[in-house]
Amino acid sequence: MAVTKVVMPKLSDAMESGKIIKWLKKEGDRIQGGDILAEVETDKADVEMEAFGAGVLRKILVPAGETAAIGALIGVIAEPGDDIAALVASAAGAGAGAGSAAQKTPPRAELARAPAPAGAASATASAPRPAAATPSAPPTPVARPAAVVGAPSAVPAGLGQGTQSGRVKASPLAKKIAAQTGVDLRLIQGSGPGGRIIRRDVEAAGSGAAPAIAMPAAAAGAEFEDVPLTQIRAAIARRMPLSKAPVPHFYVTSEVAMDHAWELREQLNTLEGQPKISVNDLVIRASALALLSHPGVNASLQGDAIRVFHRAHIGIAVALEDGLITPVLRDCHAKPLAQIAVEARDLVERARNRKLRAQELSGATFSISNLGMFDVTEFSAIINPPEGAILAVGSVRRVPVVDESGLGVGRRMMLTISCDHRVMDGAMGARFLQDVKRLLEEPLRLLV
Amino acid sequence: MATHKFDVVVVGTGPGGYVSAIRCAQLGLSVATVEDDRPGGVCLNWGCIPTKALLRNAEVVTLLNHAADFGIRLNGFEASYPEAVQRSRRVADRMAKGVEFLFRKNKITLFPGRGTLKGKSVVEVKGTGGAETLEARAVILATGSEPKSLPGVTIDEKTVISSNGAVRNERAPKSIAVVGAGAVGVEFADVFASYGVQVTLLEALPRVVPVEDEDVSKELARTFTRRGITLKTGVKVASVKPGGPGAVVDLGGEKLEVEQVLMAVGRAAKVAGLGLEGLGVQLERGFVKVSPTMETSVKGLYAIGDMAGAPLLAHKAMAEGVVAAEAIAGKSPRPVDYGNVPSCTYCRPQIASIGWTEARAKEAGREVSVGRFPFTASGKAVALGETEGFVKVIADKATGEIVGVHIIGPEATEIIHEFAVGRTLEATLEEIIHTIHAHPTLSEAALEATLAALGQAIHI
Repeated sequence: MAVTKVVMPKLSDAMESGKIIKWLKKEGDRIQGGDILAEVETDKADVEMEAFGAGVLRKILVPAGETAAIGALIGVIAEPGDDIAALVASAAGAGAGAGSAAQKTPPRAELARAPAPAGAASATASAPRPAAATPSAPPTPVARPAAVVGAPSAVPAGLGQGTQSGRVKASPLAKKIAAQTGVDLRLIQGSGPGGRIIRRDVEAAGSGAAPAIAMPAAAAGAEFEDVPLTQIRAAIARRMPLSKAPVPHFYVTSEVAMDHAWELREQLNTLEGQPKISVNDLVIRASALALLSHPGVNASLQGDAIRVFHRAHIGIAVALEDGLITPVLRDCHAKPLAQIAVEARDLVERARNRKLRAQELSGATFSISNLGMFDVTEFSAIINPPEGAILAVGSVRRVPVVDESGLGVGRRMMLTISCDHRVMDGAMGARFLQDVKRLLEEPLRLLV
Repeated sequence: MATHKFDVVVVGTGPGGYVSAIRCAQLGLSVATVEDDRPGGVCLNWGCIPTKALLRNAEVVTLLNHAADFGIRLNGFEASYPEAVQRSRRVADRMAKGVEFLFRKNKITLFPGRGTLKGKSVVEVKGTGGAETLEARAVILATGSEPKSLPGVTIDEKTVISSNGAVRNERAPKSIAVVGAGAVGVEFADVFASYGVQVTLLEALPRVVPVEDEDVSKELARTFTRRGITLKTGVKVASVKPGGPGAVVDLGGEKLEVEQVLMAVGRAAKVAGLGLEGLGVQLERGFVKVSPTMETSVKGLYAIGDMAGAPLLAHKAMAEGVVAAEAIAGKSPRPVDYGNVPSCTYCRPQIASIGWTEARAKEAGREVSVGRFPFTASGKAVALGETEGFVKVIADKATGEIVGVHIIGPEATEIIHEFAVGRTLEATLEEIIHTIHAHPTLSEAALEATLAALGQAIHI
């Protein structure tokens, strides 16, 4: 029997639940492994969900417009002859067990019986189901932030909330990829023989693993309007206190003379056939080089160890209508300025269009947040755990400066680094910042 | 005209057909097979098996030629090519009888004659004893392939021969031009050269065994040249005309006079005259288009093996036969993993490979580490006196995934399976290196090449 459970995949670092935007396959469609089943809205982006198993999409258990916790059964792929009644019933039963909320909810099996092409979503949307009706999501401990992410062993013994037994059946390659990308194997449905997790399952699950906490329930009120949290807003709301409270931040600010950098950038931008360089590209390049010489800043607290990264994967904060997203530009230390410019622009554009791939949303070792375009002198940013630091970049302003020749006009920019005091100390952050400053003030160093 | 009813009718009894028939029978289905030649198809009768018998002869002859290396002095010996062919026929006969035995054992009915589809579930068999009609729930087509030629070159199986003619050749020619340096071409080049035939191997692409890793091509070219085989790569055969001792091969300027020409330029699916057009069965580039469970565009009609597309290998046909049988029996078989089919060539030194070549991996943008281990550093290979070749392991740098393995050397075709199993289980380099390999064996070279990919080889 090749019954494949379709579960809500974990598609990003902080994802706890996902909303089905639409099903691209309808019940009765023949599915092959790798087919795109549905589009899912996660906390960060709209992501396509791939099928792991082959067969016929027999049941859709969570219709378009509704939300399911990761790991929750949202559909069933099987051959026409396979008996899936028990599986469907178990999902319905789980729904009924969710408490009072479930009473307003028609049994899932009935909901799913209606053939649900994308157009039929409105029919089922009239019976909205609260997110709480997906109790099969494993309860994940709250208080172990760093230890889960990218832990060296991807198979924590004795945990296994997501499976009946503690043992996770996975191929060596799947384990390795999971360990490298931070995927939690316990949350993945295997498509190999006997449900063994194989490479494609891990790749489909994307990357990232992060602590989960219950979603705060929105209070209702008559005198004001409650705007429901978008996935992305909800994620920020959940994640930021997790950073600001437990991570002891300290801040170091420095002013950078940007005259030379400005001049260099203008010269570079007159070069035909070369990509346009932004100030932020210069800051990324300078930070990457400085991170290499100050690995202590390119570090992360991992339980009882500090993980020092030898590669600079830099998260670039991008403002969106309804929130903030931080796509990751990998291996910045090894990329020349022009490449950084091209790739950063591409990431930012795709972030705005919500076209990022799951793996582009995780794995940063350091982040940069630039509010220069809003004419901000300086600000400080909140660290995005498990990273150890984030650099906040202000505008390049024309200000009066005094030098040997007297009073003149210069271009200045404020940089503020927020550091995790558990990982590094003030002097370390200051030395790093000094190096960034020097690289920007002698910007030819960015080109060699 | 009698009508017989079965659960499944299999048309063609080559390695795809007979395996699917047996698997169907194991699953409790009643099975009929249809064959217009002898059971076993090209593989057992004219391909894999008889050529392996000839290659064994070639190996023995080569060994005797090197008897002095082992301190054995012979006062000359006579190697009879006709007797080598007779031996290969006996081997083929025995294997074909083996298929008939397996059919009897599994209560599979064999209908000798030519099968034609009269409907998607009706096969008409025209044999010597008249016509019969078979009806079935499902039909598996497994009619295989036949040798192709070049435009304007007609295979007469006397002067211009195909592999079919080559295994029947009752005497070795004095000289032969082998057109095509793929698996078939290099195997026959090896056999003929071992029997003292003047062999010229012609290949249109820039290197011999062009689908293999470049390093393998180089190594084979080196050893073939050393054995006196003339290699001409990057040449186009303009024409083959009667003349000289038998034929004149025009290479667009240079002319080659040889007694025989062997056309080994590939094989084409046998899809004509089966009644596919009438049923609207879809083809794709001359092969029958099939689903992952080997079903054609017509429901209940399956196609497996060479006729269902590349790679044209007996073991791929067998695997497809099992998938088709299980699908018909209502199981949910795992589809064939076409990325993990080993490819084996039985010339000397043997060639075996699985997965991607180094060039292919780099094209795909994979960051790889490559480990190589030469058989000159293998104790067992030195003891055997078979030190040509190497094992080359290509792995993903980040994960240790075994991306491809290429072996040229003694028993390469046996050594490759450790990597086939490894890849099926998604083992990484680490699992291979933590597997203790017996000493001394040729398989140690597999271990050492894997270690080399991690920069940890011990014996080089």
